[in-house]
Amino acid sequence: MNVTSVLETPVGYGTLTVGSILSVIIILIVGIVIAKIVAMNVRRALHERVPKNDLEILTKIIYYVIVAWAVIIALPYLSIDLSGLLVAGGIAGLVIGFASQSVVSNLISGLFLMVERPIKIGDNIGVEGISGNIEDIRILSTVVKTYDGIYVRIPNEKVFTSNITNYVQNVARRFEYTVGIRYQDDADRAVRIIKEVIWNHPFALKSPAPSVYVDSLGDNSVNISVKIWAPSREWWDVKTDLLWKIKIELEQNGIEIPFPQRTLWFANDLKGDVSGRDGGS
Amino acid sequence: MFGRYDYTFQIDDGGIKAGIERRDGLYCYRRTCGEKRFERLLASESGGIIVNPVEPVNLPKEITNFLLIEFDPVLVEPGSVNRFYLTFPVEIGVFVESKRDIEVLDIIGLDHQKYTLYGPASGGVIARWYKSKIYPDIPEVHPLMEGVMELTIRNTYREWVTVSQAVFESYDMKLYYNDIVSMTAQMRIITKNQAETDFLDTPLKPGMKKSIELYTARGIPSIKKGFLMEWGLA
Repeated sequence: MNVTSVLETPVGYGTLTVGSILSVIIILIVGIVIAKIVAMNVRRALHERVPKNDLEILTKIIYYVIVAWAVIIALPYLSIDLSGLLVAGGIAGLVIGFASQSVVSNLISGLFLMVERPIKIGDNIGVEGISGNIEDIRILSTVVKTYDGIYVRIPNEKVFTSNITNYVQNVARRFEYTVGIRYQDDADRAVRIIKEVIWNHPFALKSPAPSVYVDSLGDNSVNISVKIWAPSREWWDVKTDLLWKIKIELEQNGIEIPFPQRTLWFANDLKGDVSGRDGGS
Repeated sequence: MFGRYDYTFQIDDGGIKAGIERRDGLYCYRRTCGEKRFERLLASESGGIIVNPVEPVNLPKEITNFLLIEFDPVLVEPGSVNRFYLTFPVEIGVFVESKRDIEVLDIIGLDHQKYTLYGPASGGVIARWYKSKIYPDIPEVHPLMEGVMELTIRNTYREWVTVSQAVFESYDMKLYYNDIVSMTAQMRIITKNQAETDFLDTPLKPGMKKSIELYTARGIPSIKKGFLMEWGLA
């Protein structure tokens, strides 16, 4: 008895032979080995870019897709007619395809977000009217912690197709104040004082230079515009810190920020006597 | 002020008062510098204290690895090698060490800190800014406020180039000290607007001691050597 005759020996179930069963086993083993190798390499390649949970899901999907592909290849050797399965599979695929449209869309958007990297974990962003720090970028969604400490999950498709404002993408950013002083105050001196306060702050950048100038003559005050560049990750602290320091320093130098006021002119002299306020009469 | 101490250490120099005292069964490190105070409890019985200059990019808090020194514009001849001296701000690191590890305890600075942007807001770097004069010889400095940097500029470009600033990466800094703090740096001009800067691991004068740098103490491996100034030299 040679090898060929052994392989062609029927096993007693339909037309199945020893050879066809061996072929199925070999195809399945090869499929599983390939699936393990691919999944392992995907895990290695993406382990720094994709969160651990998402990576586990992704590698499992890849693994089972390859194993399923090996099973489909092996089925004809077991004399199983795939035509009926294909029709059913086609209909099921259509249904699943429609149902999972948004999932796939989010998945693809997530992959593009990871490749293009308009945002990174820890960045300070605004997207779809939501502002906060990015906690996590997952395969299907991006997690933002708002400044109030609230957890917000945004589907990746929405992130990818929306206008993203990344407040810390550039290393420096500018902010501005308008400081109003009284008309009788010396505006040149106020500008000098404000420049000195800015100079003394370490994180008010030396370059690009701050800009301080009389911007407008308002109803109640001379308005000084103050524009300052700061490191993006420090700008909020600098902004809140400097405004108060400017106010204190101006006041210590006799320059005050005025209240709204209106001067009234009467056509005729007032008849009343207001001397009673002081005299008590 | 610089050196190695045990837990009985007390220093009072140049407006800096620091020391360790026993409190509630623990050691307590205390430091005052002007109006600034700092305290830290130490759960340790047999450590040592090291005080030495560190990379000057940590105060008032660490936001960058870069130091930009601005100086009067110098027109550098093509093919020439020029050596002169600059000053840089000194920051003093206080480390606590045990047999197994060393940790940063405190960083002290007497000088005013100012930061700047080198390059564009998108892609540039934030750097600690410092204005220095150019000296032909080692200048006299206040050792707790200013250090001396020997800078060698090589113009490998075919044209005259104006230089008025140098940007350095702190990971590459090599500090030495005795009566003054020093660094030895070099700048190689590549084009009219580009130069490479890096540091040499050599003391300015014989007998100087090498500092424990912060990146060494923090166990950060120094992979990148030098910095490419690609956004202008003046």
